[in-house]
Amino acid sequence: MILTSSNTLENKKILEYKGLVTGESLIGANIYKDLFSGVRDVVGGRTSRYEEEIKKARDISINSMIEKAESLNANAIIGLKISYDNLGGTMGNTILVTAYGTAVKFE
Amino acid sequence: MEIRNKKIDRKRLRRAIFCIGIGTAVGLLVYGIFLYFKIDIFGWNLGLIFAPLAAGYVETILANRIIGEDIGAISAFILFIDTTFYSFILKNPTLGFNLITAGAIIVILQAAFPTLINYILLVVVGGILSIFVNTFKEYWAKLKLFMKKQQYVKWDGPDAELNTDPIPDYDETGSNEKINSLNFFFITSSDMKTRNHDIIGIYQSEVILEKDKDLIKLGPQKAEIKRLNNIKAGKDECLIKLSKQIKENGGNGVLDLSMTYNLIGVGGDNIQITARGMGINIK
Repeated sequence: MILTSSNTLENKKILEYKGLVTGESLIGANIYKDLFSGVRDVVGGRTSRYEEEIKKARDISINSMIEKAESLNANAIIGLKISYDNLGGTMGNTILVTAYGTAVKFE
Repeated sequence: MEIRNKKIDRKRLRRAIFCIGIGTAVGLLVYGIFLYFKIDIFGWNLGLIFAPLAAGYVETILANRIIGEDIGAISAFILFIDTTFYSFILKNPTLGFNLITAGAIIVILQAAFPTLINYILLVVVGGILSIFVNTFKEYWAKLKLFMKKQQYVKWDGPDAELNTDPIPDYDETGSNEKINSLNFFFITSSDMKTRNHDIIGIYQSEVILEKDKDLIKLGPQKAEIKRLNNIKAGKDECLIKLSKQIKENGGNGVLDLSMTYNLIGVGGDNIQITARGMGINIK
């Protein structure tokens, strides 16, 4: 499965547009994680615990999207977009990670 | 100076009386100057402070030079009696007792009897305040405990209503099939080079998810799953609305599709899902 944020696939011909594929995941509602990240913010530096959580959430979203593309018999996703939105929650740290793109079949 | 000693040195006593007299005279002079020039605050003459101070100061300086020791600022005490009598009784018998008068009396007393007044202020008043504050703290702690007990009574019971049913996962496959069986092209890229198409215009649709009050009964983990399910369902609805709008205007696809999720409303309780893109008609 090829994932690209561009409009086309370089040196490949798109045969069919299979449709929209999306993936969403939510991180948050973890008081200990929030607490330690808050401490880290005060001290300074990178909040690696949060980075790991966001990466995990992004992977869940992308994998969910890929599964849907495969079910549509596609072999690439173009115009890939990933966004992170703060949805409030405990200490304002509930984050929605969304990934979506167009599933295509290329030659 | 050992005045009470049986072996009183008469010469020293005369010198001491002289010092006291000079101190008292200077104090009276200072008080006279303050009265003459009416140096006062709210009708309270500052000479009441400075006259005893001046008297005591002059007396002490003189005593140290003539006798070689301090004799206790007796002139300051004399000035205190004189000025108080003159100011509060003779000159102004109607002067009432108020904050200014009380403060003045304390300052005068402090000038006349510094050790005694300081002791009263620091030890006696401080001690009384300390006892009062401790008692107050004790009552405050009891009151807080009482309030806490009231809260516990108020919150006794709601746990019984906690929903323990598992939250079913969102039907991702069904959602995907539903969106892609609308006979409509959702394209996230900004161009379709392999397909000829006409542009219809920019389209946008919104779905607002109101705060789900039942989430609080689920606990944090289940609430998160339920919230995500609500968002996914809202997204599907938003895409369907967008496709309907474009179809109504003769289109059959959308280019450069983008989706945003924002918190809106008072306190950010609601989630707005927006889908926008360029409506097209693929030939």
